[in-house]
Amino acid sequence: MAAQDDAPFLRIEGVSKSFGTFEAVKNVSLTVGKGEIFSLLGGSGCGKTTLLRMLAGFETPTKGRIFLDGRDMAAVPPWERPVHMMFQSYAIFPHMTVEANVGYGLKHEVGLSKADRAARVAAMLDLVQLSPFAKRKPHQISGGQRQRVALARALARQPKLLLLDEPLAALDKKLREHTQFELMSIQERTGVTFIVVTHDQEEAMTLSDRIAVMEKGEVRQVGTPTEVYESPASRFVAGFIGSVNSFDATVIGHEVPHLRLDVPALGSEILTRDMPGLVAGQHVSLAVRPEKLRITKDRPDGPNCMAGHVKDLACFGKDSLYRIALPGALVQAHAVNARRGDEGARIADWDDAVWVSFDPSSAIVLVD
Amino acid sequence: MARGRFARWFDNRGWTLLLIGAPYVWLVILFLLPFLIVVAMSVATNTPTAPPFSFGGDHPWINLEPFTRVLTDGLYLRAFLTSILNAFVAMVLCLLIGYPMALGLTRVSKSWRTILLMLVILPFWTSFLLRVYAWMGLMGKNSWFNGLLTDFWNVLVPLDWAIRSVPMMHTNFAVVLVMVYTYLPFMILPLYASLERLDPTLDEAAMDLGSRPYQVFLDVTLPQSIPGIIAGGMLVFIPAAGELVIPSLVGNASQPMIGKIIQDEFGQARDWPMASAVAVALLVLMVVPTMIYSRYQAKAEGAK
Amino acid sequence: MKRSPVFLVSILCFGFAFLYIPILSMIVYSFNASRLATVWGGFSTKWYVSLLSNEAVINALVLSLQIAVVSATIATILGTMAGIALARFTKFRGRTLFSGLVTAPLIMPEVITGISMLIFFILMADWIGWPGQRGFTTITLAHITFCMVFVTTVVSARMVQTDRAIEEAAMDLGSRPWQVMFDITLPVISPAIVSGWLLAFTISLDDVVISSFVTGPGSTTLPLLVWSKVKLGVTPDINALATLMIVTVGIGVAAAGIILHRSEKRRLAEERLAFRNND
Repeated sequence: MAAQDDAPFLRIEGVSKSFGTFEAVKNVSLTVGKGEIFSLLGGSGCGKTTLLRMLAGFETPTKGRIFLDGRDMAAVPPWERPVHMMFQSYAIFPHMTVEANVGYGLKHEVGLSKADRAARVAAMLDLVQLSPFAKRKPHQISGGQRQRVALARALARQPKLLLLDEPLAALDKKLREHTQFELMSIQERTGVTFIVVTHDQEEAMTLSDRIAVMEKGEVRQVGTPTEVYESPASRFVAGFIGSVNSFDATVIGHEVPHLRLDVPALGSEILTRDMPGLVAGQHVSLAVRPEKLRITKDRPDGPNCMAGHVKDLACFGKDSLYRIALPGALVQAHAVNARRGDEGARIADWDDAVWVSFDPSSAIVLVD
Repeated sequence: MARGRFARWFDNRGWTLLLIGAPYVWLVILFLLPFLIVVAMSVATNTPTAPPFSFGGDHPWINLEPFTRVLTDGLYLRAFLTSILNAFVAMVLCLLIGYPMALGLTRVSKSWRTILLMLVILPFWTSFLLRVYAWMGLMGKNSWFNGLLTDFWNVLVPLDWAIRSVPMMHTNFAVVLVMVYTYLPFMILPLYASLERLDPTLDEAAMDLGSRPYQVFLDVTLPQSIPGIIAGGMLVFIPAAGELVIPSLVGNASQPMIGKIIQDEFGQARDWPMASAVAVALLVLMVVPTMIYSRYQAKAEGAK
Repeated sequence: MKRSPVFLVSILCFGFAFLYIPILSMIVYSFNASRLATVWGGFSTKWYVSLLSNEAVINALVLSLQIAVVSATIATILGTMAGIALARFTKFRGRTLFSGLVTAPLIMPEVITGISMLIFFILMADWIGWPGQRGFTTITLAHITFCMVFVTTVVSARMVQTDRAIEEAAMDLGSRPWQVMFDITLPVISPAIVSGWLLAFTISLDDVVISSFVTGPGSTTLPLLVWSKVKLGVTPDINALATLMIVTVGIGVAAAGIILHRSEKRRLAEERLAFRNND
């Protein structure tokens, strides 16, 4: 992860945006360091695209300010911002060749000679491995190649900030994985700060240095992929990033270093890592990721053991998903298929009686 | 269930044959055949018989005299020139007025757009003749509109140049003005159709890459609307060049357009071969560029 | 980035003024009491009265309407057949000529269409004795010919948009090709057929040039009558006639537009509702 300077490279201060009576972005404040890949993650209508468009200058904030490299961007029109965007639809100019598309922004750069310009375009095409396609028209190249044209075009002017709007959404699954790593390597080589808007949590997890999870126009949590995954700040974030089993719970008391909870749905008391500030009788949520659940035939030692039976199971190849019926709830558990083998190699089969357990440190207690 | 052989034939082939055949035969008899007759007529010889033409016999099978006259006689050349000039100026003016209007239509709110588009289309449904006539009322010497223009002129220029009315009726200017008026919707609609299809994110992309709005227009909007410009231009130019009604009502009789020449050759001069030759010449002038364009368009479509 | 395009709005205003001021001026002057059509002499409706008692005008209007109804109807039948044929049968002998024949009348200068039809009719009369006299029949035949290609354009545009699978589904369920057309194709493209008919009707009603060639003695359509009167200059009764026609058409088109707009809006609202209920 890139080191952060004292003064943040991009500072968004209390930005709101309303369209009529609809508030698309509500009082968002964020800072992004130079050279970071920062993701805005959220479902459709969460305000992430509006926020991105305000950074590009296509929308003006109703309230709040945006500073880029110390400069207030409010009055700067889009064509003067050192911020370029890779559009979701790629917005490739259909009447220009690949080369002309990539070089388009450079023609506005005063003092750049024709030769320099051609050299920059060639370097960009080289960067995205499109040199052989320079003379083609957009309709003569594939979707993945168009995506790279859009990237090269946006990078050609050496922006301070590159905005990527759902950069991988239009690609098929296989190409998407490959392109993810390509984007990361290009970011590393150019050192440009990336801001990525995405609705795909896996994409955000792999690409980003940090993620801001948005919902209903507000930022719910900002953190590294590990932070938002392992320590989500709210039920929403826990549910949005990855899947989760969550249950209503009541605090019984602190048993340092543990916290004891009453979880009616699991039919037993549960120990989790202690969390200061909670008082007995307080209502909270208990969240456990499916892969943190252990499935065993025999009762394991230690706390947090529940008996149940396998209701459903689905094998995905590298791992299996179990749905296990406990007395008061249906939980999901992931188990890695570590052993190669036939049906018999499975931990458990349909209707088998099993034990489900988890480590106190694996569970998350959510107040919100 | 036993079905007759005819019924089976009808289901399998007859139905298709009927669907294609009926309009096909109609068009061949009432459009293609008359047209071919005109083409043949253009190389016939004019005779004082009824009907006034002859093939073979005392006359040559192919008589190229009408075409030589079209190419050498000043009367025809001047008429062609007047037609092309009037139609071209009208087309350019339609483009200059219609383009910003079409662009404006894509930028207004949805509900306004519906209303304004209807206002553009409405003249289509009203009589062409009456739209020409409406301008006759405005251009006449005593009309309020002419009076307004006269006053405007008189205020602007020195007293010596003052005029009593603007001479508008029976000029090529009047012909062009009325052509622009009647054909403007033909320009606006294809332009609007091509502009409305454009992806607005392309504009944003160009702006994002450093283009000011006027550069965005020149680099992105204009090049992409060229098919609309060509379509609109042809929809105005072709009927305008062959126009008969407008010059007969507001034009200068001493500078006839080609439609009037065809009508006169046929009616007053009773020279069918000559009328046909002029018609064929006009057609070549109109249709050849159209065909080249549609070939080009088909190629462009095929490339996609 | 929505900036108020001041230049575009002002040119829109100018453009619509250019389109509508002549018509409005004509409407105002149709109520002019003065005989001089361009000098205001007070308000009067006398030109409307004289117009409605003018037998020549009424006869011409009736003839025009008859021709327009007959030719629009036949043109719609033939044009729809051609439109469906072009959209559905991509390969048959002579298709290139056929598609040329349905576009050529659209771009053919009217003078040439008119003169070729006139020569055709004269020669036919000379060779086979038909048509004995030019008039209603010849005008109608000519109108059908150039109206049907407009219908074809409208219909085939619509056909291209409709999903071919629904026709195949009907065939799969046992319909014969002609049943498919009556049960499925025609109902689906019915809006296009209706607008094709209206278009053909208007074009026929409005035609001057071709009618002027193929007409015969005693068959004066309304546009021909207006043309001959207008050649002599601006007269107040033509103003009145023009006003009546424009107001009629204007109300018709506006009503149709509003009805279409309303039903579209309702459809959208219903769609939204359906989505919400199914969520």
